[in-house]
Amino acid sequence: MNLRDRHLWLVSAAGLMLGALGVLLSIWGNPENSGICVSCFMENTAGALGLHPNSRMQYLRPELIGFVLGAAVSSGSLREFRSRGGSAPLPRLMAGIFLMVGCSVFIGCPIKLLLRLAAGDLTSLGGFAGLIAGVWVGLKGFANGVELGAFRREPGGSGFLVPAVFALLLLFFIARPGFILFSSHGSAAQHAQWPLSLGSGLMLGAVAQRSRFCITGSVRDALLMGRRSYMFIGGVAFFAAAVALNVASGRFHPGLYGQPGAHTDYLWSFLGMGLVGWTSVMIGGCPFRQLIKAGEGDADAGLVVMGMFLGGALVQSWGIAATSAGVPLEGKVAVLAGFAFILVSCLLFRERPAPQM
Amino acid sequence: MLTDGYDKWLCFLLVVTLIALGVLLSGTGARKVGPAPDKALEREIAYQSQLNFLKKLYEPVESLRRTGNLQAALFKLDELARTYPNEAYGLILKGEILYRMGALEEAVACYVRGVRLNGDYVDWKTPLSRRAELQKVADEGLRLLGDKARANPENRSLAAALKNVYYLRSRLAGGCD
Repeated sequence: MNLRDRHLWLVSAAGLMLGALGVLLSIWGNPENSGICVSCFMENTAGALGLHPNSRMQYLRPELIGFVLGAAVSSGSLREFRSRGGSAPLPRLMAGIFLMVGCSVFIGCPIKLLLRLAAGDLTSLGGFAGLIAGVWVGLKGFANGVELGAFRREPGGSGFLVPAVFALLLLFFIARPGFILFSSHGSAAQHAQWPLSLGSGLMLGAVAQRSRFCITGSVRDALLMGRRSYMFIGGVAFFAAAVALNVASGRFHPGLYGQPGAHTDYLWSFLGMGLVGWTSVMIGGCPFRQLIKAGEGDADAGLVVMGMFLGGALVQSWGIAATSAGVPLEGKVAVLAGFAFILVSCLLFRERPAPQM
Repeated sequence: MLTDGYDKWLCFLLVVTLIALGVLLSGTGARKVGPAPDKALEREIAYQSQLNFLKKLYEPVESLRRTGNLQAALFKLDELARTYPNEAYGLILKGEILYRMGALEEAVACYVRGVRLNGDYVDWKTPLSRRAELQKVADEGLRLLGDKARANPENRSLAAALKNVYYLRSRLAGGCD
């Protein structure tokens, strides 16, 4: 490991900031263990746009807007913004939907998984094992020629569309037109002061764009390169920062029962996060990384983000999302449908070696 | 970029469209079409109407409970449950009455059913909030039912009651559901 390598320090800083702000945002008003949760924020934002009727889950989360715009500003200022796309667009849209299915069955994205674990929520261990297993299976797929195909530069500039959509959401957040919904009760009514949320989002978006930090990327690199990989060190920095802040603020409550926003259906936690891990490897990053890539002009990641919005609406409208009471039948069916989708995708997007003569 | 007349036309039309949008949003146009419906206000009105309806519907039960006539209050609740079987308000009321009668396991089961139907009862901010009572029941349940369940590990009904207590504690702890 080269300690003089600037990238090592960038990745470590990204991990530290993500872990620290993940806890701090909870202290400042976001729901318990949900200081940062891309899937919860997606569901909240989809609700605010009127895409689902759950009146407890409707809020335009400024953090989400900040992630994309922070990445756009960072990549633009360093001439890294490149409009690109064209790699299996519809499968990526579907992958976005199923990412949300997996997250909603576990109750949280991979970032929230680590935040839950860092707060002592031992029920998330099932999800953690599932995430590792999913990433491992995805890597095996790669080794066997499964790939969605290469992207290409897009002269039309479709990469600007997603940052533009998020800039519009920021405008909606400030202007608050009558058709945007804001919950007055429930978890969406719990939020930090918006300048803190937006500022944190912008900062994290910029740092994540520079460092390419991602939770499933950390797991992937740890499996491929072991403990020497920078991403793994970033993941460790994330976890250490979150644990330290939780302990310091009296939010560390180790145990299996009575944990906020958690259930004890371990098998389904495992499968939900397994689906997220596998899908993330196939599409090149966890839900957070997709937002960052969309911010730097990747239209393919932009389609995943649109799929996540759609998925966020569907998991609430169709009763797929798990609650503390457990995983509903609809959620179990949706996870299995997700695995069916990813298996068919692997079959269809596999480059097979030429037969031996 | 502006290589020919077609490009220039497109740019011209874009500028005209943006100006028209600006005019519409600045209020000159908006005043003519009248105010847009405010969904937040509509929802608040619907919520308040629902609250008033529930209070009126369950007033006979509340009055029987206030006078200490708990058995009659339970009968009245059962009568109402035939018309509104999945109303969380009735289930929470039933939980409160059963708790006052000392039937802790049954009370917890009713509270859980109510909270699963409507999470507003665990929130601090809502007019429906029963958070303080739920916290008290969950703490007491953990203490009493936890001890009993540990002493009788084979007893399935005790295990189910304890699971209900864990659910209540999880909801009271917060989180994103």
